[in-house]
Amino acid sequence: MKTYKVKKIVRGNVQAEAIVCPHSFSFLGDIDLDTAEIIIDNSKNKGISITGKILIFDESKGSSGGSTVLITLAGQGKAPKAIVSVKPADFNLVEGAIVSKVPYASDIDIASLNDIKTGKLINLNLDEGTLTVLD
Amino acid sequence: MNLTKEEQAMLNGEHGKVIAEAMDYIVQFGEAFDAERLVDIVYCHYPAEMGIYKGNVEEAVEYSKKGGHVKVPTTSSTLCADVEKPGITNIPAELAELQKQIVPAHRSMGIIETYTCTPQLLGFIPPFGSYTALIESSAIIYYNSVLGVRTNRGGILTRYSAITGKYPLMGFLLDKNRKGTHYFKVNIPEKRMQTSDAWSALGFHIGKIVGSAVPVIDGIKTHNQEFLLGFGATLATSGSVTLFHLVGITPEARTVEEAFHGDVPKDFFEVTEKDIDKVYSEQTNIAEGEKIDFVTLGCPHYNLAQLKDVAEKIKNKKVADGVRFWICTNRMTRKQAEYSGYIKTIEDSGAKVVVDTCPVESHMRISTCREFKLEVPNVKAMVCNSGKMIRYVGDLIGCQVALTNSDKCIESAIKGKFVK
Repeated sequence: MKTYKVKKIVRGNVQAEAIVCPHSFSFLGDIDLDTAEIIIDNSKNKGISITGKILIFDESKGSSGGSTVLITLAGQGKAPKAIVSVKPADFNLVEGAIVSKVPYASDIDIASLNDIKTGKLINLNLDEGTLTVLD
Repeated sequence: MNLTKEEQAMLNGEHGKVIAEAMDYIVQFGEAFDAERLVDIVYCHYPAEMGIYKGNVEEAVEYSKKGGHVKVPTTSSTLCADVEKPGITNIPAELAELQKQIVPAHRSMGIIETYTCTPQLLGFIPPFGSYTALIESSAIIYYNSVLGVRTNRGGILTRYSAITGKYPLMGFLLDKNRKGTHYFKVNIPEKRMQTSDAWSALGFHIGKIVGSAVPVIDGIKTHNQEFLLGFGATLATSGSVTLFHLVGITPEARTVEEAFHGDVPKDFFEVTEKDIDKVYSEQTNIAEGEKIDFVTLGCPHYNLAQLKDVAEKIKNKKVADGVRFWICTNRMTRKQAEYSGYIKTIEDSGAKVVVDTCPVESHMRISTCREFKLEVPNVKAMVCNSGKMIRYVGDLIGCQVALTNSDKCIESAIKGKFVK
């Protein structure tokens, strides 16, 4: 069991499978709005749905549209369970996460992008500011 | 975060559930970015709740029924239809009807029906240094830079700032984040900078270099409201600039030193005519003399003087068959222009003065047509004078575009061909 320290951005404690995108991520453009599947991703995540997963990425890119996509996904029950980023959080996506009630953490160690594998069960506790990979 | 007694009471539900929820969102937002406290805002420009986004209007109407009421003067941003005269843009009736539902919802919350991207043209100008919560990137950059009114690039939480009158003290509200980061020395003949499309091209060039940083631009003397509007709108589009300083022109940059808070960088970027020429050549894919079918002025929304100028130039002329010519403005300015006779002159030519919306926010978007199963308007080639518009038209409307000045736009509409 490995535990990482994270910064709480939007509150919540959740447990779910990880989906790790070891690069920047845009809700506007990288996700199919109907299926919540990753569409533009040159890695092995293409075709995987982010619904109910803990989405871990380096940083969020793209501007205001991303927040709208997150809210739209949440409205259809297709949002990720939580969002975790290496880089500091982006204002606009945080606004969307607050309204959608999607827990959000930032400032996780960059090594996590390599060490945590997609599909691993993860516990995110934002009262304590920790992310734990469960075996 | 340190909250005042009043703020704590709002958060605890002593002012009702709507306020408590809104405060919870605003406090979470502030804590996420380590804001020490909240500030009182004096004005708000409210998110566009547009028919073209699925569920957006319905959600906004539901929200209005909860009984929330704005705390500060709050204007509203653009919609997808000319709500007063929907037929003017040939918007399908069902989409116009959906969009119209937002009007009583906004009224019930105390939001002023401006439906424009340029509320500053309507006199919503708080004092220098005031805190506000705004959406619409072209308005945000203008308030911050030209008026010295402080705001971040707001999103959905702007609604909750309007309801509470609060915003976290962070981002561009703080002095330290208003310091210039990149130094640009403009070496372009003054006569070249006499049209808003030239300013637009300059903004396009600089925005691409700086991204979300704070550019300081030195070396330009000529300016007016429409030039600064076009410049800011494009900086916020090609980059995601929230604040710029024009030395000797904007209020936080009386000198280069002031713009950089005393810390002037040694390195600078020189900008020449070649740089703006490049924007025209890269962003224009219609050849001179080629047939066009759409001409747009009014991105950002035009003011009364600009409508007057169009009326004078188009008087007794006719827009070519098969060409849509939209001049976009806000509803109050259209009323005033009606009174002054400009609207009749413009409409006699076949051009349309459209309010509350613009081409890229309307049913002209391909994605909107698909989503609502509407016929895709068959636009082939658009001429306009806005760098912001040309940035979006290709992707959203799927046509070719050309950037030129407003006089050439009018000539192009009359000839039905691109006049360079």
